[in-house]
Amino acid sequence: MLRAQLLDLASRGHRVPIGADLVLHRQSDAEAILCDGARLGAVVEEAARRFRTPLAFPIMDLRLEKAELLRFFGVPADEVEKYHFAAAPSAERRCEYARQVRRIEPSRRVAANLGALRHVARQPGLLPVGMCIGPFSLTTKLMADPITPVCMAGAGIGAEDDEGVALLEACLDLSLTCVLAQVERALDAGAKAVFVAEPAANQIYFSPLQLAGGSDIFERYVMEPNRRIAALLAERDADLLFHCCGEITDSMLESFGSLRPSLLSLGSSRRLWEDAARVPKDTVLYGNLPSKLFYSDETMPLARVAEDAADLAARMAACGHPFILGTECDTLHVPEHAATIRAKVDSLLAPA
Amino acid sequence: MNELVDKITLCIERGKVNLASPYPKDMKGQEGADELAKQALAAGAGPEAILGACNEGMQRIGAKFGRGEAFVPELLMAAKAMNAVMAHLKPFFQSGTVKPKGKFVLGTVAGDLHDIGKNLVSMVVAGNGWEVVDLGVDVKPAKFLDAIRANPGCVVGLSALLTTTMGNMAGTVKDIKAQFPSTVIIVGGAPLSAEAAAQMGADGYAHDPQAAASFLSRFAAAA
Repeated sequence: MLRAQLLDLASRGHRVPIGADLVLHRQSDAEAILCDGARLGAVVEEAARRFRTPLAFPIMDLRLEKAELLRFFGVPADEVEKYHFAAAPSAERRCEYARQVRRIEPSRRVAANLGALRHVARQPGLLPVGMCIGPFSLTTKLMADPITPVCMAGAGIGAEDDEGVALLEACLDLSLTCVLAQVERALDAGAKAVFVAEPAANQIYFSPLQLAGGSDIFERYVMEPNRRIAALLAERDADLLFHCCGEITDSMLESFGSLRPSLLSLGSSRRLWEDAARVPKDTVLYGNLPSKLFYSDETMPLARVAEDAADLAARMAACGHPFILGTECDTLHVPEHAATIRAKVDSLLAPA
Repeated sequence: MNELVDKITLCIERGKVNLASPYPKDMKGQEGADELAKQALAAGAGPEAILGACNEGMQRIGAKFGRGEAFVPELLMAAKAMNAVMAHLKPFFQSGTVKPKGKFVLGTVAGDLHDIGKNLVSMVVAGNGWEVVDLGVDVKPAKFLDAIRANPGCVVGLSALLTTTMGNMAGTVKDIKAQFPSTVIIVGGAPLSAEAAAQMGADGYAHDPQAAASFLSRFAAAA
């Protein structure tokens, strides 16, 4: 299990960004590499070496599962990003998908990710990590308006009373099937842990008012599907690394903790030293410098990265919870701001 | 008559769209904003009175949002109820009997296909009495320029979720300001801050849909 290694890294003040995308875009043919498992694996390996970490975090592309799922439904590749289900696919169609999902050949991008995992798994000293979107976040990508049905359900309205809720639940069913299959593929390719990103599990989609009033929608729509993933990982002796960079409530955080992830990665809106009391003692908290703002020297000057990193590290040391300093999300390459982003990642990596 | 108008306000504040809508649960089976607006017009209520009721409902939910007593889902449901009323008022807008507070041209910038934030802003701003021209997602600067040309005096809203499209957003602001220097631009999205918005040359920054509506209200009051 990776948990012990993560706890050990945390005890040694480890720092690491999620930043393979930055290394990928140092190559002139980044797009081609994304479809080439061996070369993509070399990029992930290089990122880990560059960031001086055994944690081989892959590229975080949360569009891949939607493309995989919609391929089964015959949606052309160039329409996938804008495609939303207008009506709930029938139960028969969903069963058919569940029957076939493990037999469907992966797309070139997914095949390359699996190839990259196999490459990393062969490298001594590196811990291969798979990556996938969480079922609820995938669901939100399959619908034009996911907020209304979540709100309806939060008011106690069931799928039998509202077409939107029925669509939401059908999409969630498909999403869970898709994500479980993706996780299995990653494990088969050698992943020792899977980083499950649920950025939509937040208070934009789930009204804290409804949750405080006793609604179980967060449990039903976010936690139950993720418990299935956690169970699968446990069954395969692999670790769950759970990520949500959205704005969450304390009760949402406690729910994430109940998954007992080995690592919990949170957005920069959270005060991790206060959150520590709400998560299991053997869950490493990870994050949460505001890497989405690294492109901007006005909002996030270089000097502030070092200051914030030192402050966060000191507060986490004081609270005594296992912690790895890093970024709030994937640190993406922005061509116009590449140099300043690189400098800030370097600053994050440099201990005070 | 006043009772009908008051009920419209309540339906908007609570997000009760129409009779068929089961939301909110304690109003299930009751008429919603849709039916009440139709009845109010039939009973002779002026469109201004109905619009006033809508604005009052949106202000109430907006105030709750500001106090942390309501959240985005409640705001969205209120905007949906408001839009149900606006469908009945459309002929009055078209004839010029009532006028919107202004025009708001909105889109997600080039390279970015995320639309949830933009759609929320669109609904809440429309719910606050603005005519929204929604250009969609992945909108090139030229399309914004065409829309500004077609809607003189409009305010422009730019949305983006991806850090990678910040350059496109800054470029769009620059292009708009170069051709239409007096056009007011408000930006929003996860990778943004007030400082980054100012640095781009935008006139405002909205952290959430209600902030966009509030910015536009201040703009309309000052105009």
